[in-house]
Amino acid sequence: MIDFHTHPLLVREMYEREPDLARIARDVFFIRNNPQPLKTFILELDVSGLERAVLLPIDARTARGCQIYSNDLIAELCRMSDRFIGFASVDPHRKSAAKDLERAIQKLKLRGLKLAPPMQEFYPNDPKLAYPIYEAAQALKIPVLFHAGMSWEPRVRSKYGQPLLLEDAAFDFPNLNIVIAHFGWPWVAEAVMLALKYPNVFLDTSCLYFDNPNDFLAFVMTKQVPLSAIEKSLRHKILFGSNYPRVEIKNMVRAVKALGLSEACQELIFAGNAKKLLGEAGR
Amino acid sequence: MKIKLSQIEIQTTQEKELLDITAEVEQAVKKSGVKRGMVLIVTLHTSSGIIVTEGLDCLEADVLNHLETLAPDQGHYLHNRYLEGDGRVAFNAGAHLKSILGGCHAFFPIEKGQIVKGSRQRVFFAEFDGPLARTYCIQVMGE
Repeated sequence: MIDFHTHPLLVREMYEREPDLARIARDVFFIRNNPQPLKTFILELDVSGLERAVLLPIDARTARGCQIYSNDLIAELCRMSDRFIGFASVDPHRKSAAKDLERAIQKLKLRGLKLAPPMQEFYPNDPKLAYPIYEAAQALKIPVLFHAGMSWEPRVRSKYGQPLLLEDAAFDFPNLNIVIAHFGWPWVAEAVMLALKYPNVFLDTSCLYFDNPNDFLAFVMTKQVPLSAIEKSLRHKILFGSNYPRVEIKNMVRAVKALGLSEACQELIFAGNAKKLLGEAGR
Repeated sequence: MKIKLSQIEIQTTQEKELLDITAEVEQAVKKSGVKRGMVLIVTLHTSSGIIVTEGLDCLEADVLNHLETLAPDQGHYLHNRYLEGDGRVAFNAGAHLKSILGGCHAFFPIEKGQIVKGSRQRVFFAEFDGPLARTYCIQVMGE
């Protein structure tokens, strides 16, 4: 089982390697909990019954003046545990973005791309800024996970996160697998429409904006979208993601399991669909 | 009068568990050199606790199960909302309430350099929202 959406912002050992990480976590990413030993992350996976987690950085050097984890630091963290799957991030405003991505995948052995348009301040349908990155990602055969929907961080505009802005990428790059994070909340209908329409568009479950994981996921995945639609039409299009450490992994696992989905559908959400996007299907 | 403070980090490994810290408390008392006085044990977290009870697996499970009955994780709590101070939605009110119900500290007298406690009493660090690296304090006071 795989968590497709985590941010290693509170790993204490990495604060010692990158002294600015504490400030970035607190003042840019706006996660304010105390750092924890790496072991806590591993134990969190254990108690949640998960084997591995995708680690997501955000390269926001132009928009925020920093990288919320560099690709090198993600690669270093991945070398500390085989439980981690590292993704890269590149800054769309930098001319070297596509080359940076190639280096991260080929040299650092990272396995996907994370883009956060609201944090990075770009429209994901901007051909000049974004398309060279998509071309590179498609050629590298890696998935791209987009932050979509509401952004908690102050001074970050949610307008860049509207899921419909991803339609051009899905349309123009049919061989590029796109994951819309957070179910695109509150634009759930748009996100679901894209996942229904485009074979290369997927959704992750990492959404919690009020109440608790059980109630919120039940609201999104049984009321905003009927559970029968998840089971029948979207079972191959949804990946489990927690958004740890904004949400504990164990609580999101519990919430997904409480929805009432079939065992076969849960297997796809927790493992099968992620393995397919990571090129591990059949392993 | 001597006052000795130790801060001890403990790595919990389960979502909820009781970890026996009696030996650590006894060691702190011994190391302090205090012969007559008292020792305070207190957790520094509002979703964990310090509990004194008998060291039996069955009883430890009963304690945790009963606290879950009194303060269930899945209750409808006003605390379930976004907290700017944390940058996340809070949904661990059940853990906070268990901490209040179970208590966050314990005291024992010290006489002749030893903790005065019942033969069946053990001191436990109580985790209600783990796994996490936690910190608790032992303060030894006396002469």
